[in-house]
Amino acid sequence: MAQFATSRSRALRRRETAVSYLFLLPALAIFSCFVVTPMVMGLVTSFTDSHMGGSKFVGLDNYIRLFQDPKFLRSAWNTVFIVLISVPVVTAFSLWVGSAIYRMKAGIRSFFRCVFYLPVVTGSVAVVVVWKWMFNTYNGLFNYVGTSTGLMTKGIDWLGDSRFAIWCILIILFTTSIGQPIVLYVAALGNVDQTLIEAAQVDGTSDLQTFWKIKWPSIMPTTLYVVVITTINSFQCFALIQLLTSGGPNYHTSTVMYLLYETAFKNFQYGYADAMGVVLALVIALFSALQFKVMNGGTTE
Amino acid sequence: MKKFLALILSVLMLVGVLAGCGSSKTNTTTSSGSSDKVSLTWWAFPTFGTDGAYEKEVIAAFNAVHPEITIDLVTIDFTSGPEALTSAIEGGTAPDILFDAPGRIIQYGRAGKLVSLDDLFTSDFVKDVNNEALLNSCKADGTAYMYPVSAAPFYMGLNKEMLEKANALQYVNLTGDRTWTTDNFIKMCEALRDANAAQTPGIVYCGAQGGDQGTRALVNNLYSSRIIDASGKWNIDEKGVKALTLLQSMVSNKSLDAGMSYAAADELQQFQAQTCAMTFCWGTSNAKNYASKDYTAISVPFPSDDGVPELEYLVNGFCVFNNGSDAKAAAAKTFLKFICDDSQWGPKSVVKTGAFPVRASFGNLYQGNDEMTLLSSWTKYYGTYYNTTPNFSAMRTEWWNMLQRVFQGGAPAAEAQTFNTNSNAAH
Amino acid sequence: MKQKKSPYLATCTVVLIILAILFIFPLYWIVTGSVKDKTDILIKAGQAVQWFPLSPTGTNYDKLMNTTIAWPLFGAAFRVPAAVKWLFNSVFISVMAMLLTCVTASLAGYTLAKKQFYGKGFIFALFVCAMALPKQVILIPLVSLAKILGLSESAWSVIFPVVGWPFGVFLMKQFSETIPSSLLEAARIDGASELRTFWDVAVPIIKPGIGALAIFTFISAWNEYPLQLVMLHKTEVKTIALGIAGLQAEMSTDYGLIMAGAALGAVPIIIIFLLFQKYFTQGITMGAVKG
Repeated sequence: MAQFATSRSRALRRRETAVSYLFLLPALAIFSCFVVTPMVMGLVTSFTDSHMGGSKFVGLDNYIRLFQDPKFLRSAWNTVFIVLISVPVVTAFSLWVGSAIYRMKAGIRSFFRCVFYLPVVTGSVAVVVVWKWMFNTYNGLFNYVGTSTGLMTKGIDWLGDSRFAIWCILIILFTTSIGQPIVLYVAALGNVDQTLIEAAQVDGTSDLQTFWKIKWPSIMPTTLYVVVITTINSFQCFALIQLLTSGGPNYHTSTVMYLLYETAFKNFQYGYADAMGVVLALVIALFSALQFKVMNGGTTE
Repeated sequence: MKKFLALILSVLMLVGVLAGCGSSKTNTTTSSGSSDKVSLTWWAFPTFGTDGAYEKEVIAAFNAVHPEITIDLVTIDFTSGPEALTSAIEGGTAPDILFDAPGRIIQYGRAGKLVSLDDLFTSDFVKDVNNEALLNSCKADGTAYMYPVSAAPFYMGLNKEMLEKANALQYVNLTGDRTWTTDNFIKMCEALRDANAAQTPGIVYCGAQGGDQGTRALVNNLYSSRIIDASGKWNIDEKGVKALTLLQSMVSNKSLDAGMSYAAADELQQFQAQTCAMTFCWGTSNAKNYASKDYTAISVPFPSDDGVPELEYLVNGFCVFNNGSDAKAAAAKTFLKFICDDSQWGPKSVVKTGAFPVRASFGNLYQGNDEMTLLSSWTKYYGTYYNTTPNFSAMRTEWWNMLQRVFQGGAPAAEAQTFNTNSNAAH
Repeated sequence: MKQKKSPYLATCTVVLIILAILFIFPLYWIVTGSVKDKTDILIKAGQAVQWFPLSPTGTNYDKLMNTTIAWPLFGAAFRVPAAVKWLFNSVFISVMAMLLTCVTASLAGYTLAKKQFYGKGFIFALFVCAMALPKQVILIPLVSLAKILGLSESAWSVIFPVVGWPFGVFLMKQFSETIPSSLLEAARIDGASELRTFWDVAVPIIKPGIGALAIFTFISAWNEYPLQLVMLHKTEVKTIALGIAGLQAEMSTDYGLIMAGAALGAVPIIIIFLLFQKYFTQGITMGAVKG
């Protein structure tokens, strides 16, 4: 990382600032208008008991109520569980796939990249429909294959059994999550400075060492991005759950996002739902800050 | 790449601007109070049909009589429509007219979002309908918010061929209005199980909220229980607990199955695929959508211990949103009266919904159709419509969760208690 | 060049192929399902799975193309199947979002990565925090906002929030980190303006990132169902996902229709993906200056 010489005059920094904000302007303008403003509105609502009939300021009541609500606590636990499992698995797996395919011939590489991206391409509804069919208790693919090959004596209620349901969600989440990281890793690995690699090979370092000492640091910005994004996506896993299990059985697959949706759109308690959203946002922000610290992706001032 | 991008950008900008210009012309929502022209938006769930064809017909006919009122039709579906509605209402873009059922409408009414339709509930209308339960389902706290046009019961469907195979048809009453007893229901399920006629006799779905009127009716009829007590609070009483215990034991001895991850739509699909021999979510539209050449469906009411069921039913009707304009509200009411009461279009609307007219004066619109005659004979079994009780939506969420807990082995009495507490909890 | 560890590579390839089959399967099922009669898609009791459509039928696509709407274009109104208009709407939204995001995000990401200015930490923290907030929370406020701005029932009510979402900025920032500052210094010393420096030096280096961003934004705009749902209600502005959902009757999941819609919807995405793949080309030389 370049270090700005200490002899830089403040005038230059001011000029930099002017230009910087000019460059930032388009993104910042749209961001402020369409993201920050609704965000603030949502935050304000979380301090009220807003529901369909009206709204009244209640201060921190919603937040206090949250931490005594068994549904919320259960959903929070599920959410953390999903994140803790999916993030390392997705990151590691996509890194592995990326490193395996980035050196392949362009055609094959494109093929694999495309294939792993397919679940993202086909959209949630269709993907869920297919998986739901596969997990079906009576005539789903898994039970069909399982019983006809003798692996199982009778079909399992994959989505209805509280032991398995969340693993089903995790599997589907996994398939939809690795597409983007793989694409990114292939690009990033391809961008690693070839001269450094060649130099290391001339020195006789093994493949594994080359990987850890040279490639890994080079792709650290990508890894940071992948980890943060996968964390955020896993925390906000929602459409999948809504379409597949409606949070069941008995809130065993309910995440905070899903509970938020249920509270807002089925029970019409907007204030309470927004409070959930704020808590979730804070947790995610905390996680992300931690990840930045640990990985130190070069965001120093 | 620069040229390529620039080209794409300019082409799309051009097309977009033109397309945008084009479509924005049709987006005229001239809200006026002074001029004669009024423009309304009508959101319709697909009860008349999924393509909006009938709605457009009616609008055209209406415009022939009232050319000064234009109506923009928007069709919404049941999966995501409710969400769209909530967002629109809260975001300030609510429609003027909504065609839906009491569940949501009364909720909106209670929240003050609707215009009162008391003036449409004339004494003639009330006499014509002649059904207090039905009329009450359209009111919240005494004010009428929904103008009903048709109603139809919810009932059960049975697979005739499977019953014959299991020699279980004897337990079903195929005469008269087909009412039958809980005992016979149990015997039928056991016969199906013993004969292995289907993968499972029936699925008590409890995976999601949709279709919960089916499982509610099932539970409430087995031992003639209700889920509201005298003071209007949600309460599963001991007879309800007895019913839950029965279902729990039926699931353990395999004469029924628990659909822990099944929504009503999934159960209906299994019924159609002949995985199970009965469905608890049968109705006029489902009978149409899930018919199959592979089997014959028999419609029966829910079994009850005394042979007299209390059926839940659907009511189709309209409501008018309060968007701050008296002119719009008046125009909307004019349209409502046209589509529901016009001598030609009223009956047409009813038939299009596949349900029965709320007005006795429309007579039997399904002459010669035995099935429909049978269904209309169940009008006398219509029970309470639960939507008008406060916390209806909270109760709905609690209901299927409660069923899940019971089927996972929870003690029915305790789970009923939890249900009672949670459903009545102040928002 | 590289010593290929044969057994390792071989196992890798085998595993990858197995996984590839598993990943292709859903799409295969969707495409074959779209030409099956809707009842054949489910496994019926006692019948074998229809791995291959035994009697392909076009009924699902017919149903899809059934409804037609008027499309006023260049003054004349054409009647097209609604599905076509929906597809156009989806494409329009996604392409505009993609283009706008690429421009705004690369500028912003470059700035955040490479420039020093007052308030930089705050702005970046703001971006990251915004990513953390669940979309559901801002859904209803966005509807009010769209109404105030007069964007209701317009594609732009979906485009702008998608463009505003800071993921793009974050991604571009990460990619921009890899630009050697020495190159930027060299350009500055040569007297190039900021914009010129950005365009001539930075952009070529982060091109793979922009390519990736383009695809991601296109797809995320395409799949942005909640936003589309609450903003677009009239038939002529619906997207393909909304349109398909609207063709479902109550409690009746017409799988055939869903499959047909999904197959139809997947086609543009696959095209865009293949088109932009070449911008991922690896081996872009990093320039002569070594730091």
